[in-house]
Amino acid sequence: MDSKRLLSIFGVLLLIVFSFAIAPFLGNPYWSSVLIMIVINILLTSSLRTIFILDEVSLGQVGFTLIGAYVSALVVMELGLSFWAGLILGGVASAFIAMAVGYPFMKLKGIYFSILTLMTTEILRLIAYSWKPVTGGQYGLTGIPSPNPLTLPGIGEINFSSMNNYYYLALTIVLVCLFIMYIIEKSHLSRKWIAIKDADNLALSVGINVMKYKVLNFTIACFFAGLAGGLFAHYQGLLSAGATGRFGVMTTLNLVIYMVIGGKSKFSGPIIGTIAIMLLMEFARPLDNLRPMLVGAVAIIFVLLLPEGIAGLPVRLKSIGKKYVSGVLR
Amino acid sequence: METSLSFVLQAIANGLAMGGLYILVALGLTLILSIMGILQLAHGEIYMIGAYLVYYLTSSLGISLYIAILISMGAMGLIGLVLERGIFRPCKGDFLSVITVAIALTLILRSYAVAQFGLFERTVPKLASGSLVFFGVAVPKDRFVAMLIAAAMSVALYLFLKMTRYGQAMFACAQNPEGARLRGINPDLISPMAMMIGCALAAAGGAIAGSIWMLTPTMGTLPLVKGLIIIVIGGMGSLSGAIVAGIFLGLMDGIIPVFFGPVVTSIAPLVIVVLILLVKPQGLFGHG
Repeated sequence: MDSKRLLSIFGVLLLIVFSFAIAPFLGNPYWSSVLIMIVINILLTSSLRTIFILDEVSLGQVGFTLIGAYVSALVVMELGLSFWAGLILGGVASAFIAMAVGYPFMKLKGIYFSILTLMTTEILRLIAYSWKPVTGGQYGLTGIPSPNPLTLPGIGEINFSSMNNYYYLALTIVLVCLFIMYIIEKSHLSRKWIAIKDADNLALSVGINVMKYKVLNFTIACFFAGLAGGLFAHYQGLLSAGATGRFGVMTTLNLVIYMVIGGKSKFSGPIIGTIAIMLLMEFARPLDNLRPMLVGAVAIIFVLLLPEGIAGLPVRLKSIGKKYVSGVLR
Repeated sequence: METSLSFVLQAIANGLAMGGLYILVALGLTLILSIMGILQLAHGEIYMIGAYLVYYLTSSLGISLYIAILISMGAMGLIGLVLERGIFRPCKGDFLSVITVAIALTLILRSYAVAQFGLFERTVPKLASGSLVFFGVAVPKDRFVAMLIAAAMSVALYLFLKMTRYGQAMFACAQNPEGARLRGINPDLISPMAMMIGCALAAAGGAIAGSIWMLTPTMGTLPLVKGLIIIVIGGMGSLSGAIVAGIFLGLMDGIIPVFFGPVVTSIAPLVIVVLILLVKPQGLFGHG
């Protein structure tokens, strides 16, 4: 445990404390709702990057978040289960479907995989949009209860119907998920995924069960996407599957932008990118309809000039600094 | 009996007109995909901007519709040239970068259209007025004009690819980029050409769609999805496959809603595509 590592752990802890302290500091429900959406999108974008470890771009995370959202809302509303059971069941349902379709899906690569996942998302959305008895069809699902109050020893009862408290809840859950994802990222699993990405035939020949690990990757990623859906459902209180809503194509496309601007090859990339772009969208409110244009321009600039994203900035600056220093010394 | 025949004939005419539009979009998509290796997710926005340009030319400058369509095709072709040179060529070869750039382009063009023209619907003059009578059933004439234009452009593209040196060079690039380079074909010359043709065809499709139906800033999503469906069914890079698949899809879109309603219409092609991708990813008409 060298000092550098200690420093970075300290930095992360500081950021976590900061993210908890920020909500009461901003102190209005609007900002709390923005923070909630940022936190949910961080989880979703991270799930996109989990699949990108295999060098595949999934345009279908929104479809799996839809499964999580509807399942967790329905089991709470129809079966009377608690929020926690709903959340977990939403994630499990999403993961289960991902596992069921995983074997044929993961055989495809590149453009084929992206188109396949995009079409799957649209199918799921259209099913939710038209399956009236279950999902409410185009009117959507309304009256999803917010999580039941939680009683903690020493603190007392916490009621999650306020924005602020829901933010704490979502933040805690997402931090736990990110921690698990980080452990996975540092484990043998992600080594195997990287080996498969670099050379799947070679990986196969050294005894890695390529398909098994690819399906596992897809399943894990979709589990977290499902959890993000559950968080979204109980936050919004209503779900609808219109083409321009939360589960439309634009959400998928935005997730890709968040990941690339943040930095696609770093664990912190999706987190940084989601925060940066969603805050940019908030602060650029005066631009109104032109805000997507701003985001698009930023994305193009990043792809062309800084393909490693914001997370790659320190390395880039260091190399520029080194060049400058060596130039001066010479 | 009379009404159902009329419904079916109307549905077939509608379907063929839609099929023609989808083909125009899909031909561009498949050309760009096979020659540049780029999944152009912003192709639907090019279609939309092309349509709005026609709207502007006809309503504000009073130019006649057909000349406006030609001008719009030329302008979008030039934009395609700029896009290829400016943003697509630098990130060629990196799949995620290309997708990101295309998504960014979608955001930019769509928000431009929303800001410039607003969210409410606009109309362009009709391609042709009146209707033709078949078996005692009236079918609007503009559907036929749309089909004719789509067919003429598909044939023109086919002849260009088969008969000219540049067309043959494009084929070569699509089949084997390395080999084409060895034979002295410059990919930096062929790629912009593919992009230009693709964007011009999309603009034509958008203009025709605008004159049959309505203009909205989100009108590009549907043809993009249909275009992707067509290139998967027809096989990526296969022009004849795209045409057959386009007619098939158009007919499905025209006829299914009459019998089964809109939901089946939108889900059925997607399910077919997913099945094709899973069973035979090279498409029904693709090679290898």
